[in-house]
Amino acid sequence: MEFQASLALVAPELVLSLSGLALLLAAAWGGDKASRLISILAVAALVGAGFLAAPALCNGASGPDTLAFGGQVKVDAFAAFAKLLIYLAAAASLIVAPAFFERVKAMRAEYPVLVLFAAMGMGIMVSAADLVTLYIGLELNSLAAYVLAAFLRTDERSAEAGLKYFVLGALASGFLLYGMSLTYGFAGTTSFAGIHAALAGDMSKGALFGLVFVLSGLAFKISAAPFHMWTPDVYEGAPTPVTTFFASAPKVAAMALTMRVVVDAFGAQVQAWQQIVMIVALVSIVVGALGAIGQDNIKRLMAYSSINNVGFILIGLAAATQQGASAMLVYLAIYVAMTIGGFVAILMLKDANGEPVEQIAQIAGLSSHRKVLAVCLAMIMFSLAGIPPLFGFWGKFLVFQAAVQAGMVPLAAIGIAASVIGAFYYLKVVKVMYFDEPANVAVGKSDWAHQALLAICAIFISPLGYLLTGWLGGMADKAAAALYFVG
Amino acid sequence: MIGIEHYVVVSAILFVLGVLGIFLNRKNVIVILMAIELILLAVNINLVAFSAFLGDLTGQIFAMFVLTVAAGEAAIGLAILVIYFRGRGTIAVEDANRMKG
Amino acid sequence: MIQTLAFYIFASLVIASAVMVIMSRNPVHSVLWLIVAFFNAAGLMVLVGAEFIAMLLVIVYVGAVAVLFLFVVMMLDIDFAELRAGFVKNFPLGLAIALVLLAEMVMGLGAYKAGGMQLGTPDGTAAAAVGASNIKAIGALLYSKYLFLFESAGIILLVAMIGAIVLTHRQRGDTRGQVISRQVARRPEEATVNTQPEVGKGVQL
Repeated sequence: MEFQASLALVAPELVLSLSGLALLLAAAWGGDKASRLISILAVAALVGAGFLAAPALCNGASGPDTLAFGGQVKVDAFAAFAKLLIYLAAAASLIVAPAFFERVKAMRAEYPVLVLFAAMGMGIMVSAADLVTLYIGLELNSLAAYVLAAFLRTDERSAEAGLKYFVLGALASGFLLYGMSLTYGFAGTTSFAGIHAALAGDMSKGALFGLVFVLSGLAFKISAAPFHMWTPDVYEGAPTPVTTFFASAPKVAAMALTMRVVVDAFGAQVQAWQQIVMIVALVSIVVGALGAIGQDNIKRLMAYSSINNVGFILIGLAAATQQGASAMLVYLAIYVAMTIGGFVAILMLKDANGEPVEQIAQIAGLSSHRKVLAVCLAMIMFSLAGIPPLFGFWGKFLVFQAAVQAGMVPLAAIGIAASVIGAFYYLKVVKVMYFDEPANVAVGKSDWAHQALLAICAIFISPLGYLLTGWLGGMADKAAAALYFVG
Repeated sequence: MIGIEHYVVVSAILFVLGVLGIFLNRKNVIVILMAIELILLAVNINLVAFSAFLGDLTGQIFAMFVLTVAAGEAAIGLAILVIYFRGRGTIAVEDANRMKG
Repeated sequence: MIQTLAFYIFASLVIASAVMVIMSRNPVHSVLWLIVAFFNAAGLMVLVGAEFIAMLLVIVYVGAVAVLFLFVVMMLDIDFAELRAGFVKNFPLGLAIALVLLAEMVMGLGAYKAGGMQLGTPDGTAAAAVGASNIKAIGALLYSKYLFLFESAGIILLVAMIGAIVLTHRQRGDTRGQVISRQVARRPEEATVNTQPEVGKGVQL
């Protein structure tokens, strides 16, 4: 009976793994010709998994009923919130992929299968309640991600991105694991609840070392400074649909996992990690803002922007309150829409032969020949900078509000100052598009799926998004309450 | 019986050697991959030793999962290395200036 | 006594071979030293009674991972002298950093403090059953409490397999594959032809 209840709780993962296996067979028989169909079916599987995950969020599930498999997996509202974002982002990266890969005749039927398994891994990550679960989910996601980064195998940039991502990712996993092994030894258990209980009171030096190693491994996975070195190279080198994926879904998963680890497992030692998180947040904001300034490739620019945004999200974590967690979740939801919209817009920048256009200089004067695309891209840039009428501002506002209410006025002040500096490079892109001499390079037609996706993202981040604040905030509050549930 | 401290020290030395190996052989990806295997070995020694001294099998099961994943990781890493070599004719990472660092 | 001796032999060998892994000039030697390191680590694990993991370490690493490394080292024709160019330059700084890191870790862990280390206390849900052998106890736990993670680990291996094949498998135009259906459908009548060539003429096919 208990086993059946556990199985019911992990239904989204079961759907993803079974459909992944079935589609793998379809890929083996149908070959690469079937890849469009397999992509559609994979999106359907993600939607199905989303519907199975959603009830936990709507009910605000928390507490012992959400524990599956003897407390290794925790399927509460928090996990459901993160899973829905992950599935949406994964589906988006599947929708944009065929048009991109078919042009270079590199669409492989395994792409959707790998994305499905990666999504499953991320689902396990965010519902982890045990160090072993955390590790398995993380590696399932990472292994699929390494392959996806190198997916355009004849393209040297893609292979190089895969290699860099792999080497640094494996090293980060090593750090994380070493930290987990120390935590296990000094807490005597791998379950988050057990670690929480064991570390209440004085923390031994060994467990502190474990915490530091675990945090640095996780900082790599969310690409927070000073562990961000891989991000620009991987984002630039990986095929753009894969970059869309990397910048959205794994980021949500790793961020949710970090929240889970520090609140659930190390929640009794807030002062031990709060300062680390604060420093990492500020360094990420500054590195993201300054690093972006000299960039002439728009994908690299987006990479630095993601480092910068991760810093802002971490400010919510540094607040170490339920309100901060809720603000982070809202920010993550808006960030996913902005980043998917941004990369879809980049995918739509093509020259007359359909070759992708990535240099910022080449999109000069875009507003003269692709008006709608230029407006959308400008909106996304303004939103990433957090300029008020757009929805991106709301996320930053909530995070700073949480920090101020937790008594961290200096942190919030430095963050606001840095976000003004950061606005510079977003504005530069807008200036190039609207006020520079038209380069007339990016004139290629774009796929209807890309246009539809961009339209959805643009509407979400436009001021119309504020209509959703009540609903989104309510969901995020439920999820944050589940994260902080004590019982 | 030998104390747990000894095991933890051996594991710490192995971990540091793995990190040092990555630092020293920054150009040679194959040795970097082997250094990562050393780090994972350090983790496994830690897990097994803690498991034995705690009288709790979780650590050994964890070590088994680490082994499983390490095998998969090595396969994927070497596959990426092979396609990188096919395109470039070398495996030196510092040559990798198709992209600015 | 004999156990202490064995520990020090295994521990010093594992560290010495790890040093050789990262210092060898030839990557083939590195792989061989890696195998030595894994064997000795397995010895360390046997000493604490974890014989199943020790055997797995030997089988998985020596049998699969190390052979995979050897295969790749030998398949790719790599100029290794060129790859060692930065080695001497990086060496002093790298060593200094490593020593500092190690000293901090050992001190921080309090390994040599009087009284030894304070380990946590396990909750007893994963304790080995009394009298069960190591492999039995692990199996009982793996297929019950850790079933979900065990299956997920299977998916990880599947992803690794798909990934390695997707990346490296090439459809080559210049080879002829086997078409089993054609092979099976072939009849003797189509395969052989009886001809009666005139003397000195040869056969026209």
